[in-house]
Amino acid sequence: MDENEIKLDINEVLRYLGVKDEPDGAAARAAAEEADKLLRNLRPRYVYRLFPLEYGPEGVVLSGSGVTLPGDMAGQMLAQCQEAALLACTLGAGFETMLRAAQARDMARAVILDACGSALVEAGCDLAEREIASRCPGKHLTDRFSPGYGDLPLGIQGAVCGALDAQKRLGIHVTESLLMNPTKSVTAVLGLAERPQPARIRGCAYCALAGTCTIRKGGKSCAD
Amino acid sequence: MLTERWKEDIVLLDGAMGTVLQQKGLPPGGKPELLALTDPALLLSVHREYVAAGSQIIYANTFGASAPKLARSGHTVAEVVPAAIAVAKEAAGRSAAVALDIGPLGELLEPMGTLTFEKAYEYFREIAIAGAAAGADLAVIETMTDLYEAKAALLAVKENTALPVFVTMSFEESGRTFTGCTVASMARTLEGLGADAIGLNCSLGPDLLAPLLKELCENTRLPVIAKPNAGLPDPVTGLYDMGPEAFAAALAPSLDAGVTIFGGCCGTSPAYIEALQKALAGKRPAARKYDAMGFVCTPTTPCRLDGVRVIGERINPTGKKRFQQALLEHDLDYILDVAVQQEDAGADILDVNVGYPGVDEAALLPEVVKKLQSAVRLPLQLDSSDPAALEAGLRVYNGKAAVNSVNGDAAVMARILPIVKKYGAAVVGLTLDKGGIPQTAQERVDIARRILDGALSYGIPREDVWIDCLTLTVSAQQEQAAETLRAVRTVREELGLQAVLGVSNISFGLPERRLITQSFLTQALAAGLTLPILNPGQREMMDAVAAFRVLSGEDRESRAYIARFADASVPAAPTATAGSLTLEDAIVRGLKTDAARLAGQALEAGEEPLALVEGRLIPALDKIGEDYERGTAFLPQLLSAAGAAQGVFEVIKTAIAQRGGESVKRGRLVLATVQGDIHDIGKNIVKTVLENYGYETIDLGRDVPPQVVADTVRKEHIRLVGLSALMTTTLPAMEETIRLLHTLPEPPAVVVGGAVVTPEYAKKIGADYYAKDARQSVEAARAVFGA
Repeated sequence: MDENEIKLDINEVLRYLGVKDEPDGAAARAAAEEADKLLRNLRPRYVYRLFPLEYGPEGVVLSGSGVTLPGDMAGQMLAQCQEAALLACTLGAGFETMLRAAQARDMARAVILDACGSALVEAGCDLAEREIASRCPGKHLTDRFSPGYGDLPLGIQGAVCGALDAQKRLGIHVTESLLMNPTKSVTAVLGLAERPQPARIRGCAYCALAGTCTIRKGGKSCAD
Repeated sequence: MLTERWKEDIVLLDGAMGTVLQQKGLPPGGKPELLALTDPALLLSVHREYVAAGSQIIYANTFGASAPKLARSGHTVAEVVPAAIAVAKEAAGRSAAVALDIGPLGELLEPMGTLTFEKAYEYFREIAIAGAAAGADLAVIETMTDLYEAKAALLAVKENTALPVFVTMSFEESGRTFTGCTVASMARTLEGLGADAIGLNCSLGPDLLAPLLKELCENTRLPVIAKPNAGLPDPVTGLYDMGPEAFAAALAPSLDAGVTIFGGCCGTSPAYIEALQKALAGKRPAARKYDAMGFVCTPTTPCRLDGVRVIGERINPTGKKRFQQALLEHDLDYILDVAVQQEDAGADILDVNVGYPGVDEAALLPEVVKKLQSAVRLPLQLDSSDPAALEAGLRVYNGKAAVNSVNGDAAVMARILPIVKKYGAAVVGLTLDKGGIPQTAQERVDIARRILDGALSYGIPREDVWIDCLTLTVSAQQEQAAETLRAVRTVREELGLQAVLGVSNISFGLPERRLITQSFLTQALAAGLTLPILNPGQREMMDAVAAFRVLSGEDRESRAYIARFADASVPAAPTATAGSLTLEDAIVRGLKTDAARLAGQALEAGEEPLALVEGRLIPALDKIGEDYERGTAFLPQLLSAAGAAQGVFEVIKTAIAQRGGESVKRGRLVLATVQGDIHDIGKNIVKTVLENYGYETIDLGRDVPPQVVADTVRKEHIRLVGLSALMTTTLPAMEETIRLLHTLPEPPAVVVGGAVVTPEYAKKIGADYYAKDARQSVEAARAVFGA
């Protein structure tokens, strides 16, 4: 398989939709169709950059980027790293246009497309992560983590996008209320270490949605 | 004078400002837009190096000097722009001209973002006026990725200054900008709007930009600008990968393609400009080949008029009670739905006519244009006789539109053509005048010539003049069908203009109308008709167009035709249980067509609309809603059922519009995604479900200020408000909105929802109901409005 090929995990799409054990598989079929339409029309785009790390009183400093990562999570995640990558990935305005057009036609299809978009931007991050790994042979990546996870504040979103020049290079705008537009956009931090890194942040303890999450109420976790 | 030289000669711009500043020690993330105030000497030294390297036009350091970007700097446009221009002028002396540099505002415009076109125009106007007053020689609008934003900036400069204006946009290797704009759409829209030179800057190196620059040269008569990056940045080091000589060499193909204005963007420095100057020394502008093709577009959808292009006629109240009702009720969702159906049926362009007694057309047309462009990708033809409405509509239109129409009357041309010219639209000319519709083909062609001359005299190029030779009803004036066809042929053969014709009128008053209309359409196409105006929902008409495209050779290898009829041998799949399917089943299973058909049958059999809604539709929706709550049905099914219910409501509304009477209304509420929040699909889901329970919603959209919610509630006497917020950062805006609503003399009930909202939080901020999903919002509506 071409490692640059992007595939959408339909089960992940269905999980975003809250669909489970569906008897006739209609939603799965519809999701496969929407995923296909999406992949024929757009690809996630991403940029990343590597920065050396310094440890300051305010948190972990990505030297030369203007970004400091405060909080315990970033400190733990990057404890064994000398370098970290900042990553931004987006489906771009094209997805917003598709989604508006879909909403004007069929809301049921639109929510499925929306879920496919969420899965696709994650798939784009996975692709970027593989590229970073391949460009840094011998290094071991930490889990990917993002502003808004755990105690890493959303407030650094503007600085992260600024360090990557994400507005100019990807068209990502950070709004006053710290949301990214286009909405299917992700920024993330990945540490690079000399030795293998344990999975640290899978699970609900770090998730801002833990209080209202329907998957969690169903007794499961999205990391399962 | 240097500032005029770009019109016919090769001209050198400067290179990057930020790159050089960083080389000189400005830290990344530092505020370069304030340098004219904080370190003018540093700025001056960079400008001087560019002038010394050969730049004939330098860009003042005003790229980020817009009100939104300066918002938290403590400085204003009125301070920064004149200071930056003054530094540039000092460096330029007599050797170079100074450009006011206008960059993107840093906020996304509607419909992607929430910044309105009008507000963006105001921001750009402020910069343009300040720049002109400070003595800039020209304005450059650069690094745009949204054609709409470029248009707002271009209009702002042209309407408020006398400066020449360049516009450059940033494209990806795919040939589109981030927002999906194509090179042809950009070129032909901006030339139409009166840019003086256009081009590409940033995003790629000169090698990857070359094919796009060539395409640009073929799509405009204007001088073309290339200001590429020094290749691509390395993700590990952040450095660009192309040196000065390689950069200059890679621009050679673009010189040959016709580019005449050269400079550099990110990663370039004075060394690059010097290398360019050496490479360009002694060169002359290459000959250009412009493709003078009829053209209309939206940013994402260029529509070249090199074959038959169908104009959909359905957005028009004439003779359509349901459409008239939608206009009077300001039901823009209905109009959008009519547009979507025509797009899906294969229309290439949509005619938009919203003129009706009791409608403020000049206010409604721009609103409808924005609504349609939010979800339909097709170019629009604005159809009105009111110049104020046309101007308002063209102003907010994103792309190159058409105007329907002028005629041979000089007074009409004098009213409409200047607007057409200003906004770079195409225009339909009807072959009639004060004397009415001439009876012979020759007289109609004479009027066509007059219209063409009139358009040319206003500077409208001939490819933008479309002639309508007028279809008359064959049952009333039988000999006129042949005259119309003769006139079409002459307009095509002798004048070489696009021919438009509304064909449906031909068959009025005859049985089997579609047969007559289709036959006339086929003959008119053979006579040279290029732009039939018709109902794309009539399959026979679109079939005739598909067949014609095969016979004319436009549909290469009959591909589109074969695809169109690929499933034709399979009989339309009957619904599995066609005979026994009930309306309730059809709704529960989300079968929209069946549900609409069964509802139509029930109404014909005498069932009352209200009884149908309350006795059958709502119980069916409740059934799927209960399954959804139990976890045996899921969100897509719930929404499919709502979609089927929508089909039923449409049948009911049409029936009521036909016979007159009260619509079915079960209570009216306001929905909004709170200020600062742009994620609105959840709110839209709630809207879909509530509307198909028969509730009327006033959808205020997203990023809605608390005051707007409160004002609407007060004005419309609203009893229930639904608010959504997706992010923790926007929850305070939800709280603030509720607080404000509670100050009203008659506070409405409030239901809240959204990913981060909890029942506890809902209670804490004073909401009356918490809805974890769309289904629960129905319960809130029931509690407020009664069953």
